[in-house]
Amino acid sequence: MAKKWKFGTTARHIGASLLLASVALGAPYASAQTRGGSITVAQSSNPPSLDAMVTSSQASRNITMNIYETLYGFDDKIQPAPILAESVEVSADGLSYAFKLRQGVKFHNGKEMTSADVKASLDRYKKVGATQTMLEPVTEIEATGPYEVTLKLKSKAPTFLEAFASPRAPAVIIPAEEASKPANEISFIGTGPFKFVEYVPDSHVKLERFEDYSANEAFQSMDGFGGKKTAYLDTVTFRVIPEPGAAVAALESGEVQLLEQIPVPTARRLSSNDDIKIYENMPWAVLTFIFNMKEAPGNNLKFREAVQAALNNEEVMAIATEGLFQLYHGWMYEGSTYDAGDVGAQSYNVADPEKAKALLKEANYNNEPFSILTDSTIPEHGKAAVVIAEQLKAVGINAVINQTDWPTALKIRLQDTGWNGWTLMMGIEPYLGPAALVSTLTGAAPHFRANDPELDKLYQELISTDSVEGRKAVFAKIQERLYQFVGIIKLGETGLMQASRANVQGFKPFRFPRMYDVWLEGQ
Amino acid sequence: MTRFIAGRLISALPVLFVVSLVSFLLIAVVPGDVTAEIAGADSTEAQRQLIREQLGLDRPLPEQAVRWYANLLQGDLGQSYLLNRPVTEAVFERLPVTLSLAGIALVLAVAIGMLLGILAAVRHNSWVDQGSMSVALLGLSVPDFWLGLIFITVFAVGLGWFPTGGYVPIAESFTGWVVSMTLPALALAFTQVGVVARMTRSSMLDVLGQDFIRTARAKGMRGYTVILKHALLNAMVPVVTVVGVMTGVLLGGAVVIESVFSLPGVGRLIIGAIQRRDYPIIQGGLLITAAIFVFVNILVDLAYGWLDPRVRHGR
Repeated sequence: MAKKWKFGTTARHIGASLLLASVALGAPYASAQTRGGSITVAQSSNPPSLDAMVTSSQASRNITMNIYETLYGFDDKIQPAPILAESVEVSADGLSYAFKLRQGVKFHNGKEMTSADVKASLDRYKKVGATQTMLEPVTEIEATGPYEVTLKLKSKAPTFLEAFASPRAPAVIIPAEEASKPANEISFIGTGPFKFVEYVPDSHVKLERFEDYSANEAFQSMDGFGGKKTAYLDTVTFRVIPEPGAAVAALESGEVQLLEQIPVPTARRLSSNDDIKIYENMPWAVLTFIFNMKEAPGNNLKFREAVQAALNNEEVMAIATEGLFQLYHGWMYEGSTYDAGDVGAQSYNVADPEKAKALLKEANYNNEPFSILTDSTIPEHGKAAVVIAEQLKAVGINAVINQTDWPTALKIRLQDTGWNGWTLMMGIEPYLGPAALVSTLTGAAPHFRANDPELDKLYQELISTDSVEGRKAVFAKIQERLYQFVGIIKLGETGLMQASRANVQGFKPFRFPRMYDVWLEGQ
Repeated sequence: MTRFIAGRLISALPVLFVVSLVSFLLIAVVPGDVTAEIAGADSTEAQRQLIREQLGLDRPLPEQAVRWYANLLQGDLGQSYLLNRPVTEAVFERLPVTLSLAGIALVLAVAIGMLLGILAAVRHNSWVDQGSMSVALLGLSVPDFWLGLIFITVFAVGLGWFPTGGYVPIAESFTGWVVSMTLPALALAFTQVGVVARMTRSSMLDVLGQDFIRTARAKGMRGYTVILKHALLNAMVPVVTVVGVMTGVLLGGAVVIESVFSLPGVGRLIIGAIQRRDYPIIQGGLLITAAIFVFVNILVDLAYGWLDPRVRHGR
């Protein structure tokens, strides 16, 4: 399936010229990095917590990943790479992971990080971590030396390191004395390039440069969540501005230097403003449509196939994302390690009403209402639902929309009845890789309510296959299966528009705003 | 006088009780589940049930109500589910922001509104009258959030006179506080200017037409003394009534304005709590806001007594 870029050409030109500028400037660009200055970043919501382990919220991650670090984290190629660890040695039987720690790494309180802190932090994660399944295979966490921690697994888990490196609710390392405290009661002390100064809810979080930061010299530059990080800025303030118009105004007036997200139409308007740089963070999330497989008519495969055939994904995505989207059938991003190639492409974005009508006949569909659950809290959800409903009505499906707010939608869809279809934007799961994505579709609480035994089996195979190549092959089978039983439909990929003042240098869009390796021109 | 105040305070109790009951029951009928918010969208029913038990949400509603009222009588509004802190602490921390905003807006609305109203009444049927009433009508018609955004575009982005948002505590810097509050308070006040102006105008026109004003003028009293001392004071009673009602409108409007200007006030706290079903914050926030409204209206009642001795002496 051809990839389509729908965003305005102006912005693409900007992106290209930015890239060219950075290439053309080459060496002088690097030497121009200057220390000092302060940046204010605006984001739309409060971080629910700054205790990084206990939350998987993006609003928290944006801030906490500048404060804390993990043993391992994803690099630019989404492979686990050492951050606070130097290396890991996996025993031949795959049951023991010995992490060698970097020496001389300082916490923000001045103390050096040792194996005792790491053990205490991971023990705490097992109790309060928001993605506790991450450490579920681990039976024992042992400090096997002052700078070595060994994790013992109950059974072989080849994807353990990938899961462990996940930034979803990161297993960050904090001082042992903090790790003994319950969730949300710690002082925010990490090892990252910025340290916590203050948090005023609904107002701001302020960070300042950690002068004793121990950069990871094993790398040349920042790389994904890790690499060699250098903090140039004196302070970074994350301001909470819920109203998008006000956030843009603050950027235009220069009070705010970086917007974590900017509405697409505004980005188009600002693309001609010389004082502002626009960044396109693509792909950022995957918009999906999920069936309730426990209730008619969604429990009928032919019916689900009819829906898949009826959908014009391009139309849905164009309206839901205000034009910032790309179409790709793959459940892993194109070109990423686990991208399964052409598998399933023929069933994606079919937009064939006649085929859909024929399938409906085969399904013996009797005009039962098909209730699409959606919410107004995440605008993409509601807009996608409207377009989907119209497309389904056009082929003779009695589609009705049930729009609520997010908590209500969440509650309804956690039940086996009361809904037939559901729109969901998956933010981080498609980025984290196959295991993270498929785990939401299997196990005790799959998104589509009923388990697909074949998918469950493939998931077990995925997480028990040793090599990356082997897992790639399994994931291709999973992708095929997803297109066969149609419990979930991938609508398309959407991006995140971000913006900064023109004097902000070195900012590279990523899964969170990395405020290290960013500096201000003319500082 | 003491009996008058005590009577007013006692009559406020049933009002507060009804507010607390309604806010408690609303929550029982509102769909949505805080446990999914805490445990995450991909949590299992068992995990959510555990949280429900920890929070006491699995208990029957009457039992939850009894527990809530028992704590309330001891001044304890409970613990927020998602903020991990007591409700009173979270609300009182934000109260200065909302009270500053609503308070300044109230003063501005009354000052500007009365000025326009007096001018319109004194220069009845002139261009001043029509001009003032046009401004008043504009204020009534324009939504405050839109006005807020226009103020930001013109005065913050365009002219750069004010910040686009954010709050500076008065303890940190007085000028900073004034500057940070100016645009939001003006935006909030403007919608109420019209109400005060129209009320002042009609009430002044009534009074100005009365015999004692003609007498005052006839005995050679200066124009502004007549207007400000004799007419205005008598025209104040209906205006003061409006102020009482307006407090509620301003506290409600503050919710929107706090979002537009990114002010960390009680309104945003409650909105955030509603969005995430943090019941104790919603209940406590509503109760405290209602208490403020009731208290202001008691002050208004007292003001009647000050303005009109007949009320004070129960005549």
